[in-house]
Amino acid sequence: MADPLHQFKIEKIVDLPDVTLPGLGSVDLAITNSHVAMTVAFAAIVLFLTAVTSNAQVVPGRLQTVGEGVFGLIDNLTESIIGHEGRKLFPFVFTVFTLILGMNFLGLMLAFTATSQIAVTATFGVLTIGLVLIIGFAKHGLGFFKLFVPSGVPWVLLPVIILIEFASFLLRPVTLTLRLFGNMMGGHVALKVFAGFVAAAVIGKIGLLGLLVGPLSIGMVTALTALEFLVAFLQAFVFAVLTCIYLNDVVNLGHGH
Amino acid sequence: MADPTQSAPAVSTHGAGASPAPGATHEAAGAEHGSGGLPQFEFQHWGGQIAYLLVLFAILYVLIARVFTPRMRRVIDERASTIAGALEAARQVQAEALEQSRAAAADLAEARARSQALAFDARAKAAAEAAERSAIEEAKLAAQLAEAETRIAGMRDSAMAQIGAVANDTAMAIIEKLTGKSASAADLKAASAVRGGAA
Repeated sequence: MADPLHQFKIEKIVDLPDVTLPGLGSVDLAITNSHVAMTVAFAAIVLFLTAVTSNAQVVPGRLQTVGEGVFGLIDNLTESIIGHEGRKLFPFVFTVFTLILGMNFLGLMLAFTATSQIAVTATFGVLTIGLVLIIGFAKHGLGFFKLFVPSGVPWVLLPVIILIEFASFLLRPVTLTLRLFGNMMGGHVALKVFAGFVAAAVIGKIGLLGLLVGPLSIGMVTALTALEFLVAFLQAFVFAVLTCIYLNDVVNLGHGH
Repeated sequence: MADPTQSAPAVSTHGAGASPAPGATHEAAGAEHGSGGLPQFEFQHWGGQIAYLLVLFAILYVLIARVFTPRMRRVIDERASTIAGALEAARQVQAEALEQSRAAAADLAEARARSQALAFDARAKAAAEAAERSAIEEAKLAAQLAEAETRIAGMRDSAMAQIGAVANDTAMAIIEKLTGKSASAADLKAASAVRGGAA
């Protein structure tokens, strides 16, 4: 049976020399299968959004309805969670959502899932928390630290609460990263394992038992694929929702926190 | 797929058995295969992916913020204003129609009232004419009746006057028959005067 983890392996397609970038250190510029997957997702998003918006009509066609649905989904999200200032942050949330959604969906159709790479999900997580920090300090200066001091807490509990709030804030990028990574990787491993059973049954590796295992496994693969499409959408959506919630914490710091 | 000899058992034995060993002895092997055997922890591939993703993210962000979002908002706002305008127009037309129907109802009510008044007048006039005419007829009849009554009264009076003479003649004839001698006119007069006085 094929190694179910093999699909996550980074393969170099075009090898390019390493360069040293400030801040990142030595970077291997080789074009890998991860780069290709990201590029395809990026291109698909740009093509989709171009097709949706280039000839947008007041009475929308089918494609435009889908595009406006996605747009409205995130627009409502930012508007309802962050409020009036959500409009300014909409492009960021929409970029995060579409990129993750594109990579998740393409992972189910192509051979490589970029969002099952922890480097990719960590980048999204750090970007989000980085924006939270930038907005927090730009808007409130040192008042940003009020985020860790919820109002209405008895002063006796305050040291403990501050500690907990601070720890939970530090864990936000980690949970953002690991949730997406774990969901995508777990789903693809499960798919590959059951697909491996099917392959083993078909080539007769497990003998007559294959007659039982094969159909069962192929049913499992079908069901899991459907589930994975749901997970692919849901994880992108969850990431967008959490991004909105974290941004809301600093945008509306002090009122309603 | 690139390396068919490195199949599942080889990796799993490496992951399970050699995982503590390379950390201590073989630094290179640990970096090569990552911790726990997960390909995602091969850190030499991180830099390229992160840098590339950041570039893609930046381009997509600019495209979405500068191109796609304004376009989308323009269409959605345009639609909202179109719908609002159409609704406003429909509301106006509806109000106009309501106004017109109210005016029509008022006209109808007025016409009905006018026709009723007209009918009432006509009936009253006809009744008045009829009453007048019947009054004239009645007056004519009353006059004829009065004339007839006076004529009758005249005829009766003349008849009564003649009856006196007839009674005198009859009385004279009866007296002549009974007494054999004719009564004088003076006697008759006296007798009738007695009766008239008694009566």
